[in-house]
Amino acid sequence: MKKNSGFKSFFILPIIIYTFVLILLPIIYILFLSFCTSDSYGGILYNFTLDNYLNIFDMTYIKMLLKSSLIALVTTFICILISYPFALILRNKSEHIKNLTTKLIMVPFLTNSLIRTYGWIILLRKNGIINKFLTSLGIIAFPLNLMYNKLGIIIGMTYTLLPFMLLPVCSAVFEIDKSLIEAAKDLGAKPLQIFKNIILPQTISGVFNGSLMVFIPAIGYFFIADILGGGKTMIIGNLIKNQFLTARNWPFGSAIAIFLIIITFALVKVYKKLGGKMEELGGL
Amino acid sequence: MKKLIILFISIFLLCGCTNKSYDGEINVLNWTSYIPYEIIRDFEKEYNIKVNYGTYSSNEELLAKISSSKEGTYDLIFPSDYMVELMIDRNMLDEIDISKIPNYSNINSLFLKQSFDIDNKYSLPFLAATTVITINRETIKDSIVSYNDLFSSKYENDIVLLDDQRIVIGMALQANGYSMNEIENDKLDKAKEWLLKLNKNVKAFDSDSPKTFLITKEVDLGVMWNAEAIIAKEQNDNIEIVYPTDGFAISLDNYTIVKGAKNKDNAYKFINYLLRSDVSKKITDEYPYINTGLYSKNVSDEELSNILYNGSYVKNIGMNIAAYDRIWAEIK
Amino acid sequence: MKHKLLKNLFILLVFFFLYLPIIVLIIYSFNSSSMNILFENFTFKWYIELFKNNDLIMSFVNTLIVALTSTIISTIIGTISAYGLYKFDFPLKKLINSLIYIPIVIPEIVLGISLLSIYTLMKLELGMFTIILSHIAFSIPFVIVSVRSALSSETVYYEEAAKDLGASNFKIFKDIILPVIMPGVVSGAILAFTLSLDDVVISYFTAGPGSNTLPLYIYSMIKTGITPDVNALTTIMLTITFITLTSIAVIQSRKIRKRI
Repeated sequence: MKKNSGFKSFFILPIIIYTFVLILLPIIYILFLSFCTSDSYGGILYNFTLDNYLNIFDMTYIKMLLKSSLIALVTTFICILISYPFALILRNKSEHIKNLTTKLIMVPFLTNSLIRTYGWIILLRKNGIINKFLTSLGIIAFPLNLMYNKLGIIIGMTYTLLPFMLLPVCSAVFEIDKSLIEAAKDLGAKPLQIFKNIILPQTISGVFNGSLMVFIPAIGYFFIADILGGGKTMIIGNLIKNQFLTARNWPFGSAIAIFLIIITFALVKVYKKLGGKMEELGGL
Repeated sequence: MKKLIILFISIFLLCGCTNKSYDGEINVLNWTSYIPYEIIRDFEKEYNIKVNYGTYSSNEELLAKISSSKEGTYDLIFPSDYMVELMIDRNMLDEIDISKIPNYSNINSLFLKQSFDIDNKYSLPFLAATTVITINRETIKDSIVSYNDLFSSKYENDIVLLDDQRIVIGMALQANGYSMNEIENDKLDKAKEWLLKLNKNVKAFDSDSPKTFLITKEVDLGVMWNAEAIIAKEQNDNIEIVYPTDGFAISLDNYTIVKGAKNKDNAYKFINYLLRSDVSKKITDEYPYINTGLYSKNVSDEELSNILYNGSYVKNIGMNIAAYDRIWAEIK
Repeated sequence: MKHKLLKNLFILLVFFFLYLPIIVLIIYSFNSSSMNILFENFTFKWYIELFKNNDLIMSFVNTLIVALTSTIISTIIGTISAYGLYKFDFPLKKLINSLIYIPIVIPEIVLGISLLSIYTLMKLELGMFTIILSHIAFSIPFVIVSVRSALSSETVYYEEAAKDLGASNFKIFKDIILPVIMPGVVSGAILAFTLSLDDVVISYFTAGPGSNTLPLYIYSMIKTGITPDVNALTTIMLTITFITLTSIAVIQSRKIRKRI
């Protein structure tokens, strides 16, 4: 019996320690910080206050939260628009091709995301490859402003996060019962009807899964906003980063982080309601 | 799996070996693009001291790094004027022992005894910089002497500014005839309105390398540190550099030793090395900031007095930084 | 027919989008100009230049150390834990089962600053150790999820049979469970390795002096313009990982075929 309990603790102790020290403790600590105040030098004063949360609802920050959410929403939407047709087309291909495609989607991830973002600078800048190409074809007379604005951020976010939408949407679409669609076709259903009544209900949790994995990082990836947005547009990630690294206001930064955690949990709840499973998140 | 572990161990050992061959080390935090890597390598070879070199791009980032790390993590840092004052206030710096720095004699006394550390107990001048307006004359023909000349609708999306709230809001204050360290709300409101008006002409905020925007012709106008402007001019002779009539920011970066530094003697050696006139000259040849040396100066004393007279330091404004922070969030 | 062509074209366009920046980077690694703006002449010099750039090499070695260490540790802990969570009942199990998804769903920046906060609280010196610890922190859940998907009712069946034959618990785990879940372990390890190489945000907050990793090195020079030796290094890395992954995939599919 004793030997058995040693066996058991070998398998469960690491995860218990890990969960408490590296997941729970950090979050509880920033929750605690979010009720503190910072002195003018960035030190932390341990007096209880709700000011940091009230501060988030200042018009300036509300506007920024909305702007950042809008950028993330547009990114999510574009990813859905690309992923659906992609998955629907692939659905009719052989198993072999399906496998190969899902692997090929992951390959770009083997390089660091910063360096891929840098690749976009070469492509998008005023005298970059795309503008040079379009002017030489005579399609445009003056170079387009493709980066150092919100468009640049959205291109960068869509690029970095697209795989997280492609993978779950593909796996959801591949699982649709073929005979259902055949039957609907035989009964004379129009493509739009088929999409609305069969495909959409069966794939909605997959799409929400992808949306979660696109939307949430898209409000936090400050480096994409920095590099492709020219530092002109702050997203929530930049705001948190600034509070921790430049404005020296850790309590306010922690409050925004807690706010993000709450939003995340709410979205996860919706996802579970739609029948999504936690272990399928990200389609990994 | 076994092979993987062996590979990992061998890499680890490899790194261990490379570290061991040095007599000592020094942990330095400095601004990005400030000391050519070659100089650090030369120092490492000459003194057999390993330089662990990290970078930051704002004084606030430096402060955050120092205050969030254990005492003794860093030895030598290069804070600007107001940050030196703040760090002295917070007891974050150790006094500097000039007797250990023979090349002290190479410092131009114009830069000593500044308001933020009047006796130079904790800091010695390293490099100075001022903000300037940078103009690409190939495309821009109009006269530009003041920040207020940047408003023309011709310059839509054509300006790069520093990604630094104190400098940019300070510039807006100066354009309205105020000091760049105002804390009064109505004056700050005016500065905010001014910046919101300018916003459509601004293409990007960038502190790390605004010159790149001018060199690659992404923009034709910029307000940036003079060294960046000079490098841009080296690449494109049509670039003109102007000291704005409304006033400009001056920034003096300093050698300071962090309280509790573990490698103080090595830090003194490194400071002394950087103060050597040939080394100092090499630094400002590569990054043309204003050299604070006596035997390595790159700006005449007359021009220097002029700059020190007309430029203003950014000052520590304590809790009022929150108002700046909010304006910054609003214009972005 | 035209319709079908259009459909295939769409798939190709999506892949074009995904690979475009990488292709550009690879092409520019052969560019003689150091500016990454215009392509001038074809050259191999950056592949030689690269080995002279000490800082780049050091940051690359640091990145490898971080990725390998964190992968090995998180794969071991993740595998053990996946089995532990699957086999045993204990108080808090339900709580832990939901908490482990936190690093997967919350924004990386939140994880980054909260880890930075407790390192500061515990006065841990920021450096290689804290980066590795942070990478372990975000990799473990991915390994658990991956291993868990390989644990099925089939394993229970084998396990019962072995128990009846009198095998010890550890022996059962080592000789019976582990081989069955190996594909899950391998893909979990690959995932952890990839996540570690790709990470920017968490390293950004948890790095200290002397622990410059590749992403931090690149971040510090991205606005001045990256020198083509970085492109060259990326090309080499990409080739090596691609070959490794392909061979792992081939070996695995062969093993599966053999079993059948």
